[in-house]
Amino acid sequence: MAASEATGAAPGGGRAGGGRAGRPGRAGWPGRPRPRSAQSRRNTRVGLALTAPALALVGVFALFPLGFGVYISLTNWPLVGPYHFIGLANYQSLIHNSVFLQSIVFTLKYTAIVTIPIFVVGYALAVFVRANRPGTTLFRTLIFLPYIVGLVAESFMAVVELQPSSGTADFVLSRLRIASDTTAWTVRSGLATTAICVLVIWFASGLTMMLLMAGMQGIPAELYESARVDGASWWSAERRITVPLLRRSIALSLIISVVGSFLAFNQFFIITDGGPGTSTVSVVMSIYDTAFADTDVGLASAMSVVLIIVVGLITFIQFHYLQGDGD
Amino acid sequence: MASVRSGRPQPGAPPAPASDDRARAAGRRARPAGRAAGRGDRGGLVLYIVAGVAISAVFVVPLLWEVFRSLQPESAVTTPPSGANLSHLTFANYRTLLSGQDDIIRNVMNSLIVAVLTAVLTALVSMLAGYGFGLFRFRGSGLVFGLVLLAFMIPFQAVLTPLFLELHFLRLLNSLIGLALFYTTFNLPVGVYVMRNSFLQVPREIVDAARVDGASVMRTLLTVLRPLVLPGIATAALYAFLFSWTEFLGALSFMTNDSLFTLPVALSNVETGTYGAVNYGLLLAGAVIAMIPCIVVYVALQRYYVRGLISGALKG
Repeated sequence: MAASEATGAAPGGGRAGGGRAGRPGRAGWPGRPRPRSAQSRRNTRVGLALTAPALALVGVFALFPLGFGVYISLTNWPLVGPYHFIGLANYQSLIHNSVFLQSIVFTLKYTAIVTIPIFVVGYALAVFVRANRPGTTLFRTLIFLPYIVGLVAESFMAVVELQPSSGTADFVLSRLRIASDTTAWTVRSGLATTAICVLVIWFASGLTMMLLMAGMQGIPAELYESARVDGASWWSAERRITVPLLRRSIALSLIISVVGSFLAFNQFFIITDGGPGTSTVSVVMSIYDTAFADTDVGLASAMSVVLIIVVGLITFIQFHYLQGDGD
Repeated sequence: MASVRSGRPQPGAPPAPASDDRARAAGRRARPAGRAAGRGDRGGLVLYIVAGVAISAVFVVPLLWEVFRSLQPESAVTTPPSGANLSHLTFANYRTLLSGQDDIIRNVMNSLIVAVLTAVLTALVSMLAGYGFGLFRFRGSGLVFGLVLLAFMIPFQAVLTPLFLELHFLRLLNSLIGLALFYTTFNLPVGVYVMRNSFLQVPREIVDAARVDGASVMRTLLTVLRPLVLPGIATAALYAFLFSWTEFLGALSFMTNDSLFTLPVALSNVETGTYGAVNYGLLLAGAVIAMIPCIVVYVALQRYYVRGLISGALKG
């Protein structure tokens, strides 16, 4: 097939340029045969100098805190005052920390609830805007706006609109006979979670749409034409051509959405403040509370390490599962 | 407007899109625009536009409605909606919010300073690093690139506590510069990735010609290459600006001094009534103010935003 030839050539050819310093041609600054050592030393010097600021920032504000966090998690570090090395005691106490365990369960549940709707809605929207018809550019922009505006501003708006009897949510839903006009959304944890899930699905579908649309537009049109000549229906073309060729985009959009949900903080902090009780405390929020309200930095760091491991696992599993047998 | 102009039926091969420059690279569209091509197309087109307007409304009307609500007096925001209070519109919420007392202007300025600083720093550092990774093959470049991208795998939410202590030691807590450095770091993976790709796409001959002319490394970057990679720079800066403007958790953790709060943190104080009684009218007005720069910047520069998404989507 013509298309597979074209794409098959790309990875090998493209990556080859990234080889060793001595390779003449594509990548190095001086592109012709030369006294190798002087040139490559100069290349190394200039290259390192150019990339040093980026490396320094990442080192100081990302990699160091990561290592530092692991170290702190092995101590009883309070926000102020002396600390002792206490081994794995923080991790052991996590097993009995009901708020933290509850927050993990709640966050997993929340992630499970929103992921599929975000993906399905995002996919449907991507199908709708991928063709270049009059108006699509405008539709894309408008559908994407909630994501651009950001969940923080929208959460503040939700706070006002979820007020019993005065908020727009009750006003509209009571006329549709879905809720009463005095439904207090943030007083019951089920209602609060429902409201936040709806908000997040509305907010995040646009991003999935854009990511999937970008992938869809990279699929050669001939594939669809030949499928049509073969008499394939729209649905079977979608299943046999779009979905397999879209694996990477699907993996990426799912990873972004799942990891994003698992790291949720803003909407819960702003709309429910974890309530009622601690029923809507997300993992990041329980870390935040432990560190800054309880000032138990050691314990909070242990929670963070667990969070990093869980997020890493989620990413790895999804990546492996969705991409593994793709190529 | 584009949507109105071409109301005629479209044959199988659709025209190149006006705004998506990626389409040029891809060569053709994903799918013939005229699936319903032929005689029934005009009807299909009308149906498509009607559906598009309806779907767009789902995403935009809530935002517009909040703008409208923010123009209602506070009393109308907190009482059951009725026909009477729909007609009374006023800038009172905005006047109160912006009239010294709550000092929200200072918070807007803080947000703006941090967002612009983050955008400039991200663009600058990403440009240099992209230049290095893209055009200089050097020993260890793979390792350095891997380390920079590693920041992408570290959720900043998970290093917040150690970072708080570190910023404290560095005297960068309660510092707009400290906040901007933190934001810049976590925008670098995307920025460096985009910039490296931009430099990799620069035609080899141009780089060679500059070298033959004896231009120095920096001179080549600033005079010859800069115009070629400017779209990439715009992408990196745009992402960083939007990230910084809408970020909440970091600012909430690292800023404890009222006068240094960014807008979202200040609004969370309005919400909980730290500045006196809770005023939902003010909260709505503040949220609308927070929304405006995002929309303006995005609508003006959206082709650069889409570029970034695509380079991310294709990287796999």
